[in-house]
Amino acid sequence: MEHYFDVLSVLILLSSFVLVSNKRIHAYIKTFRLQSALIALTAGVMGFEDVVNDGNYDVLVVCAIIIALKVILIPRLLHRTYGNIEYRVEKDFFFNIPILVIICCGLVVFSYFSVSNIGALSGLHINLQVVNSFSVVLIGFFFMISRKKALGQIIGYLVIENGIFVTAMFSTQGMPFIVDVGIFIDLITAVLIMGIMVIRINDQFESIDVNKLKNLKG
Amino acid sequence: MISVAYFIVQTVVILLAAPLVNGIIKKIKALSQKRKGAPVTQLYFDLFKLFKKGMVVSDTASWIFRAAPYVVFATSLAAALLVPVTTMIPSQWHAGDLILMVYLLALGRFFMMLAGLDTASAFGGMGSSREAMISSLIEPSILVSLITVGLIAKSTDLYRIMEHMKGVDAPLIHPVYLTAFLALLIIIIAETARIPVDDPSTHLELTMVHEAMLLEYSGRSLALMELGASIKQLVFITLAVNIFIPNDQFILITGAAAVFLSLVIYLIKVILIAAVIAVAEICTVKLRLFSVPNLAALSFILSFVGFMQYFVLGR
Repeated sequence: MEHYFDVLSVLILLSSFVLVSNKRIHAYIKTFRLQSALIALTAGVMGFEDVVNDGNYDVLVVCAIIIALKVILIPRLLHRTYGNIEYRVEKDFFFNIPILVIICCGLVVFSYFSVSNIGALSGLHINLQVVNSFSVVLIGFFFMISRKKALGQIIGYLVIENGIFVTAMFSTQGMPFIVDVGIFIDLITAVLIMGIMVIRINDQFESIDVNKLKNLKG
Repeated sequence: MISVAYFIVQTVVILLAAPLVNGIIKKIKALSQKRKGAPVTQLYFDLFKLFKKGMVVSDTASWIFRAAPYVVFATSLAAALLVPVTTMIPSQWHAGDLILMVYLLALGRFFMMLAGLDTASAFGGMGSSREAMISSLIEPSILVSLITVGLIAKSTDLYRIMEHMKGVDAPLIHPVYLTAFLALLIIIIAETARIPVDDPSTHLELTMVHEAMLLEYSGRSLALMELGASIKQLVFITLAVNIFIPNDQFILITGAAAVFLSLVIYLIKVILIAAVIAVAEICTVKLRLFSVPNLAALSFILSFVGFMQYFVLGR
């Protein structure tokens, strides 16, 4: 059963790699949805184990919230935002995609060396899962700074949140229910506000390139 | 004596099954387009006919052009001998390991690229340069993924790796093996000139890679080249199925019947992988040549992440 969680954590990490190697906004949203589905699966299995072991169904409820929010609602909101702007493919990167991917490999190595020395994390498998999910956080940050367009940066923010959630889940077997729910409400508010902001930016500057925000507009 | 049996089984199975894989992939593609398609055995007929025909060699071609088909065929077959199709016959032949296998195939490919350049046709040079690019991109991920598996088995000998994998329960629910297997699937597609990288059914198109190098060949040489390419494809598929989907631990009988049963299961696994490749071909379009590095990068990170998992797990 432990290997099952290992594999899920690896798949979540790989989905964030797939995200970095994409350049279509449509594919970003799809990959984010896939990653959220994998996280929901992880939470579902963990919640099921909890119910069987001590009748505690908090994690199962969190799993249902993830499916409703991250797999269905937020991707739909993003698709709507995406429909309102004419911009489709990310063309200008700071580096080309293979270099971005190789830098992300470096991030995985970095997180291995930093996380594996934390003594409080016990057990081989927990360690592996935390390394993987912490790498997801770092890759989310990196994705945010490597994309110049606002929609990509929203996805980066969501991936960071996914990574933090998975790290917490793997290292503590589920956070307190109220904390999780609070984070989700923050998240939905953030995505709503950012979606509206992107449309406003697009109206004002006729582009969602964040570098153009510096231009004066009167 | 056992060693001789190993050679005979290995050569016969690989030679006979290799063209079949191409036939199955073509058949599945045809069925998906509601065509009837050529029979599964079409490549056997083609090869038989080509072997009977004479060949035309350009006046400007040097000895490399004539030698290349034999080198390609011989290296593929030699590489095939290093990858056991069944672990029921113990391989006593410790003459080579996975590194030798990878570079034997690379030697064959090198000669194929030289032959493409040799006749100085425009297509040949183009195909050779593209093949050089793709192969150099895909080579690191082959070695990293296979050597990670070798590190766990504590041997680079493919027979020992397969023996070790028989003891692992459910290898595909293991982080290291799963990533290595996925990396190997992308490698199979890239190495054997399948659709996201190269279209095997195009002929005389500007986008072709593998076909461009074979353009000048005819008759017996063409047959050897085609057979060599399909053997190479089967070698990679054999690697994937026999390392990551081991089945011989479930066969409790011994003797010739066990070998036969093992080979039947092996063929079923090969057909499954061929079906996966065919579905991948149906669902995707050919990538732009300059997007191939992205696919190669994806394959490399799959194998690299597997390698990191091995480090964290420490076994």
